[in-house]
Amino acid sequence: MRQKLGFAISIAMVGCIILATRFYEVDLPVWHFFGGGTGIDPATLHLGGEFVESNLGTTRESDGSFTVRILAQQYVFVPQCVVVPSGVPVHFRVTSADQVHLLKISDTDFSLKAVPGAVSEVTTEFAKAGTFEAPCGEFCGAGHFAMRARLEVVSANEFTGMHADQRRSCDSR
Amino acid sequence: MTPASRIARALGWAIMLWGVGVPLPLSGDPPENSAPAVRVSSNVAWTPETIKQASNGDPFRGMLLARRCGHCHGSEGFSAEPFVPNLAGIDRLSIWKQLEDFRSGKRISPVMQPIVVPLSPRDIADVSAYFSLLPTFADPQDNRAFPQATTDFAKLRAAAQKLVGFGDGHRGIPPCQACHGPVAYVKGAPALSTQNGHYVLTQLQHFADGTRANDINMVMRTIARQLTAEELGALAEYYGAGRAADRHAESPGLPMQ
Repeated sequence: MRQKLGFAISIAMVGCIILATRFYEVDLPVWHFFGGGTGIDPATLHLGGEFVESNLGTTRESDGSFTVRILAQQYVFVPQCVVVPSGVPVHFRVTSADQVHLLKISDTDFSLKAVPGAVSEVTTEFAKAGTFEAPCGEFCGAGHFAMRARLEVVSANEFTGMHADQRRSCDSR
Repeated sequence: MTPASRIARALGWAIMLWGVGVPLPLSGDPPENSAPAVRVSSNVAWTPETIKQASNGDPFRGMLLARRCGHCHGSEGFSAEPFVPNLAGIDRLSIWKQLEDFRSGKRISPVMQPIVVPLSPRDIADVSAYFSLLPTFADPQDNRAFPQATTDFAKLRAAAQKLVGFGDGHRGIPPCQACHGPVAYVKGAPALSTQNGHYVLTQLQHFADGTRANDINMVMRTIARQLTAEELGALAEYYGAGRAADRHAESPGLPMQ
């Protein structure tokens, strides 16, 4: 009996280690694994749901918080230029359409892995305004080295004064 | 085996399977939908069913159907008109997607839409299969004249080669050859080395100004709108000349893909 209990405990420990690896690798809150993740099909992201092209970029939710949705794919981030306000918590939601990518923001300790089939999310706050490069930090294929987004942090006053289209992304500028 | 150890073992296995990603029948939170006005770029999604449907065409039946395509696209898949795309050797998924987008109105063309709308999904797959099998190497019997490169092509060529080979990391422009070959291919991205330069230019311009918006997840629109007019012209010259050079080469070029 003691041996069998020991076996069960060791199996459970191995399971916990695998789970912990998955958790740190994927940057997802652990409760997302209950029910098999968020269940996003990377092939059909453009057909509907949260990551359709008209919904990407910075949005203000009904409760006043800011959400940035970024779609990573071979070999561009969409939107490629993102505007966020400084000094306010900003919620990032990132997913991938093909490979694993990593959104790194230069001069900060921010990095968020984009995983096909799951939404990675993190809430962060940028202390001061500035322009940051956001290269892909995970090898994703032949064009990986040129995959780069840009993040423009502006003051909250400036951000609220912007036009709605400019707030969503600074791609067309 | 006591019930307690049975439960412990089952729990251990469940945690292990769950950890390695085997889906377990547990209820999850429903996906959030906070989409405003939804714009769908293309109804095509590369699901396994779509890929199966698009790649299982019958090329012989496609050859019979493609007789009407030859007036513009050439009987061998090489067009005599610079603004009409060459179809010889383009992979079948790319042709299938464009035909499907013409049919659903996601890509606008007053010429192609009346032609494609009456076709069935099977017809589209068959025509794509036929054109994907046409050879792209030089035909010694072909004496047609091709547009000559402009005088300042050497300068343009350097700019184009940089973009095709390395892209521009500072602007986030990936190299063309990472998706359009020959280094790597992505589903739905056609090979460009045998394409008409004029056609490449107009499509890049249409992607840049949003006139053509049927690229999945905005990938070509994001890239094309950052390119300058000179770079668009250089890329068009580069791919157009590649095709002309290939047609006049003495030894047969490599078949596409």
